[in-house]
This record gives sequence, C-alpha cells and structure tokens, in this order.
Amino acid sequence: MAYTVYTASLLKEGLVAYLSIRDGETSWTTDVNRATSTETVDDSILSTEAERSEQENIVVGVYSVEVTRDGDRLVPTENRERIRAGGPTVALPAAKNTTANARVAA
Amino acid sequence: MGKYIKDRKPSEDNWMPYTGLEDSDTLPSGDIYVPLEAWKERRDELLTRNSRLGVILENTDDVSEIIDDLDRLDLVVLQFPKMVDGRAFTQARLLRERLKYKGEIRAVGDVLQDQVFYMQRCGFNAFELRDDQDLNSVLKAFDEMSVTYQGAADVDAPIWRR
Amino acid sequence: MYQYSQADHQLLLERVTQFRDQVSRRLKGELSEDEFKQQRLRNGLYLQLHAYMLRVAVPYGLLSSEQMRTLAHIARRYDRGYGHFSTRQNIQYNWPKLEEVPEILDALAAVEMHAIQTSGNCIRNTTSDPLAGVARDEVADPRPYCELIRQWSTFHPEFNFLPRKFKIAVSGAIHDRAAVAVHDIGLRLVKNESDELGLEVYVGGGLGRTPMIGKLIREFLPVHDILTYLEAILRVYNQFGRRDNLYKARIKILVHETGEDEFRKQVEAEWENVKASKLRLRDEDIEAISAHFKDPDYEILPDNDADFDNHLITNPEFAKWVDNNLELHKKPGYRIAYLSLKSPDQPPGDVTADQMDAIADLADRYSLGQIRSTHRQNLVLSDVKLTDLFELWEELTKLGLATPNYNHLTDIISCPGMDYCALATARSIPIAQALTDRFESYDYVNDLGDISLNISGCINACGHHHVANIGILGVNKKGVEVYQLTLGGSAREDAAIGKILGPAFTADEIVDAIGEVLEVYLENREDSEEDFLTTYRRIGQSPFKERLYG
Ligand code: SF4
Repeated sequence: MAYTVYTASLLKEGLVAYLSIRDGETSWTTDVNRATSTETVDDSILSTEAERSEQENIVVGVYSVEVTRDGDRLVPTENRERIRAGGPTVALPAAKNTTANARVAA
Repeated sequence: MGKYIKDRKPSEDNWMPYTGLEDSDTLPSGDIYVPLEAWKERRDELLTRNSRLGVILENTDDVSEIIDDLDRLDLVVLQFPKMVDGRAFTQARLLRERLKYKGEIRAVGDVLQDQVFYMQRCGFNAFELRDDQDLNSVLKAFDEMSVTYQGAADVDAPIWRR
Repeated sequence: MYQYSQADHQLLLERVTQFRDQVSRRLKGELSEDEFKQQRLRNGLYLQLHAYMLRVAVPYGLLSSEQMRTLAHIARRYDRGYGHFSTRQNIQYNWPKLEEVPEILDALAAVEMHAIQTSGNCIRNTTSDPLAGVARDEVADPRPYCELIRQWSTFHPEFNFLPRKFKIAVSGAIHDRAAVAVHDIGLRLVKNESDELGLEVYVGGGLGRTPMIGKLIREFLPVHDILTYLEAILRVYNQFGRRDNLYKARIKILVHETGEDEFRKQVEAEWENVKASKLRLRDEDIEAISAHFKDPDYEILPDNDADFDNHLITNPEFAKWVDNNLELHKKPGYRIAYLSLKSPDQPPGDVTADQMDAIADLADRYSLGQIRSTHRQNLVLSDVKLTDLFELWEELTKLGLATPNYNHLTDIISCPGMDYCALATARSIPIAQALTDRFESYDYVNDLGDISLNISGCINACGHHHVANIGILGVNKKGVEVYQLTLGGSAREDAAIGKILGPAFTADEIVDAIGEVLEVYLENREDSEEDFLTTYRRIGQSPFKERLYG
C-alpha cells in the first residue's frame, strides 16, 4: 500500500529531510524511515505542517513523495526518490582524516 | 507612494504616471510621465505643457526612439518586471553613455537591495524600491563594492586604464 | 600565473562580505528563497539532490600548488573529503552547509580564489586550453586574453542578468583542446597574412537539448578589439535574446532564429558604436597582462635522457604511461604530463583531499608549482623535466593517478548524474564505472586508440555526450533509467554533433552495446592508424545500426 511523506531540503545544511510529527511535535529528519506518512497522519495535516516549515525558513522546496512500507522501512516508489533518500549509489571517494561534515546523512 | 531614492537620498516623488488607460482623456496636471506610445501620439500636446515631462519605456522599446526629445524629457523610467530580466541595464547605459542623456533615469519594478549597485553603474540615478525593501540597507548597498573592473556610466575606462 | 592586484583582493573581500550578508538575510527570512537563489547561484551555490553544491572557479583551468592545498583543506574541513572537477575546468563540492559557505569563501579568497559567476544567467568562468603557454602547436598564449575577459566580465553591471547562462572559451593553438565550437562564444587566436594576431569569433555553439556548433561570425578580429567585440555581442544578446522560454534563451537560438548574417550585421552595427571606446585594448594593456604569463626560467636541457630510456625498456607499465599520458613540450627536455582522474576506483573527475595535497606537492617538486585542469576532467602538470618523469610516475601510481588512458576509451567524461544532480533523469557514474570495469584491459583499450566516450545524466548535456565519438545520454522511460547512444561527435577543431543511433538500452544492455560498437569499428578500420571517428565518418552509421538493431 502506498503512502505519502513530505520531503524538502534543510535550509541551513541543505540535506534531504523528511517531515516527522511525533507527540504533536513537528520536526525534520534526514532518515526517511523516521518520516511520518499518511499511514498514521492525515495528508492535510502533513502538508500544512510542511508548508509552515518552509514559511518559517527551516526547509526549502517542500513536496510530497510516494512511499511503500517494507517492515520498518519506508521505501520511495520512484528511483530518483530512492537515491535521494539513500544517498549516492556509488562508493564515495574519501580522504583519510576527513574531519567535518562526513557521514551526517548516512 | 512607496520608497523612493534619488541621487542616493530618500526623496519625495512628485511625478504622476499617465498610462493612457485612464477613464478620462485629459492629462492630469503637474509632472507626468507617459508610455512611449502615448508620447509619440500626443507629443505636440504634451510639449505645450508647462510641467515637466517624462517617458516610461517597455524594456523592449528602442531608446533611440526618443533621441530627438531628450532635451525636453526630465525623466525616463525603465522597468524591471522581474528581477531576472536585465534588459533595462542596457537601455540605461545606452541612454547615459551613448545618447548622453542628463535627466533622471528611474528604475521601477523589482528594484532590490542586491541590484541597485549594478543599476547605478549603468546610469540609473533614481529608484522606486519594491515595497518589501529596507530603505537603509538599500542606501548602504550603493557602496557595497568599491572595486569595479569595467567602464560603465559611472567611469568610462576599465580598471587597467584608470 | 596572474598575480592579484590590491584591487582584485579588495573585490574578493567585499564580495565575501556581501554574500555573508545575503546568507544571513536568508537565514533570518528577510530574503525569499526565490530571490536568494539568484544571489547564491551567482556565487556558484546550488541546491542539489542531496545537499548544497558549491562550484569554485578555476579561472581558465590554472591552479597554484597553494591553491590546490586550500581546495584540499576545504574538502576536509567543510565537505566530505573530496571534490569533483567539471568539464568547465572548475571544481565542485557536493556537501557544503549554507551556514559555512561564507567561511569557505574566506578560505578561497585568501588564495585568490572564489565562486563568482560560476553559475546563474551571467558570463561564466572563461575556459581555455589546459596546455596554454607550453603547447608546441600554439599560435599565441590565450591566457592573457582569458584574464582580460575575466576582469571585464566579473560583475559586469549590464550583463549580470542575461536571458541565460553565457560561456566563453579561448584557444590559442592549432588543435582545439578547449571545445570552442560548443560555447556561446568561442575564440581562436590566429594570425593573418601580415602575421598580425587576431581571433576567429564563433558564436552560438552549445549543447543541451538543442546542440549546435558555433557559427563563425568574424574571421579575423584584431586582438585589440576582443573586449569591445564581446561587449557588442553581449549587448545584442541581452536586448534580443529570448526571455519567454527557458529552453530558447541561449544565444544559439537567437543566432539561429535571427539568421547568421543578420546577427552578424547587428553585432557589427553595435560594435561600430563601441569599438573606439576605452575598452579597446592598447598595446601596453596587452603587454601588461601578458607579463603575468611570461615563460618561467626553463633550463636548457637535452631532449633525451639515458635513464629515462632505460626505464622505458625495463618497465612496461611506465612505458604505457609515457605512451599515452605525455605530450611534448615546447621546450626540449620538458614534458607535459596528464594526471588521469579516471581510475577504476573513483568517479570520473573526483579527487580526494589527500590526492589534492599530494598533487600540490608533486607540482612543487616537479612542475614549477602549477597545476591545470582540463575540460575532459583530468589534471595536467605542464612543466616536468624528462629526467623527473619516472619519479613522478612512481608517485602518481601510488596515488591512483597514473591510469594510462588519456584520450582513450576509459578516459570517460561523466556528469554527476542522478547520484548527485537534482535535474538528472538517470545515473551516469555507475555506467562510467561499469564501462571502466568491462574495458580494463590495457591492450584492448590501447589498440582502440584515440576515442572519446562521454556520458550525461539528462538532456542538459553537462557530460558533453553530443560531442563525443561515442555519447551516452541517460533518460527516464516510464520510471526506468535507459541510455541512448550517439555516434560521431567531436569537440575538437573538426567539431561535430553526434547522431542518435536508435532506441535506448537499459543499464544492463548499454555496456554490451558499447562493446559491439567497438567491434564494428575494429572490424572496419583500414588499419590500426585509423581512429574511430575517421572510420565512422567513412563507413557511416549503418554498420553500427545493423549490428545493434539488425
Ligand atoms: S547533464 Fe543533467 S544530470 Fe548531468 S549534471 Fe547536467 S543537469 Fe545534471
């Protein structure tokens, strides 16, 4: 069964994020599996909250993504969205001693 | 009217636009500016007025169409319908540098803090800011950069010839 | 290399201050995303598929070792330990944070670097021949003209909001290594009968969804007139370029729709008005800039070396590299070395921070402290002594930068594709890697000889697939990534747009399809001297079509 989650980019970091509503608290997570989908919350609430976050300059470029549930995981239906959720599909070149910023979204 | 800057100072704008679409055919009194079409059509009538005259150009208009009237025009209004539409930059330079126009060149439309620096370099000396702009920040933006490489309306030589 | 003046430094500092303020206004919500986007793009900052991407200008592909170390530092400190060299000789970082970009710009400014106009609808960083100043086939050094164009175009008040982006390339050699034919303006330095230096001016080349080869608008423009002529072209474009349709906004469409002759007339008419302005270069202006690009003090060296010859005989791996990755230098006893960024282990064009640091050290040790980037996404050490080559090669081998494939099949140009790019319709890096794995045999690749294979992840064609001998374009067909083949393109002096061969292949099929294409070439070439493009031009598409679809 397909559900909808809301996604955007975090304004400050630029990272891909998903709307999550827990205990009435709205937040944005970089983990698609922690997104709140229409499985549990009404689409209208999700979209209102997502747009509000954009107005509050927390995120940029809100849109909705179709996902299916696979056990604990939420899997976007479209290829592009799967890559967006999972990161580049190729091995990233990496230097030794990379200090900052690494693996934030991993 | 909104926020208006002339010669780098907040100023009072006394000009009235006349679009030609008004209900009445009579021109308002005082200083008015009209579209190029209206200028061409009613030029003789306009020239009999005692007030100051201006023209507003579409950014597709050829500035050389007013070449013979530049002495009589105190104002030329150029438009930025969208921030990203940069045609009026060229119009302004042609007016100032090629046609040696001395009157007011005014920017209207998306006239924004981050644009006025370029606008003044191209010869604009008056700015009707978009409503959301912060007047003081815009005033500072004129001096944001002290280095320029090219000649333009403000300085005629590139940096290597100054 | 060009040495910054006080004014150049000042300008960078002011620009960083300005951008820092723009970022802070954005974070406070005073600037909308729409408007901030216009500003951040003019500073090379995109919002990509996974994160922001910062594109740093490498003016006409020249880097000092100090600058390279700063690029390494930025990769480590602010990114994920690597960077990506693009087809426009620039370097891109894939993971910077918006908040930290002003700091990155500070670090860049300290070494005379920046991200100014690396994106947005303005005049972009000028590109050039990576062998400028050292090539044997050079008519004149293009770098002084590139630098003049850099200065003229930087924050040009009139041309900062053009209908669309605008790319200029300059080449000063017989062989075109800067792909001038596929730029909005391509300039080639030439001499006329009286031995005066001038430029061929090509306008309206470009790739994307409507690929076009630039039209020769002027056969000989005296070099003194370069900037006035550019100003005239840009002015015509700024006024008359289409703004109603994003896909028709490039100057190539204007030239096409206006007609070459009429466009030329408009430019010449405008030029009449500006050609005598102070923008016209005097001899002393050209001399002053050229002084920055004087030859270093080359040693007088013999053009042979017994040790070198010995290594060639005893070390076949070294010999392969020498065969493929070296170019003759205008001075005897020196060679130009290509550092391949196309190893089997890394995406095309990617370099780690460790590699960057090491390259900087090698440049200091062996190549007068300079590095160049190429439009085929490789690096160049331009002034290596014959006697140092073996040591250099040993070091490069340790670093994974000595793959002997320059201008060969696995020297693949690949755009980032859907692994990074928000506009992509398909992935391109995995295809590049699959091809590299499949064609790992040196002997096979070497036998194929000079060939170009380029991959783009969407119709925007950043991977220049149109001008590759073999081009691959990734598209999305009902949710599946498929790959279209084009054959017969060239980005050199015989520039040509490749032709689509037939229906697209899936990711699984494309590697075999390329294999078949290569077989058809091998079967049909007259001898091993006849390269792919020559054979293709001789036999046409049909043999390839028949093999793949017959
Ligand atoms: S060609 Fe398309 S996918 Fe590749 S970098 Fe350009 S826009 Fe992105």
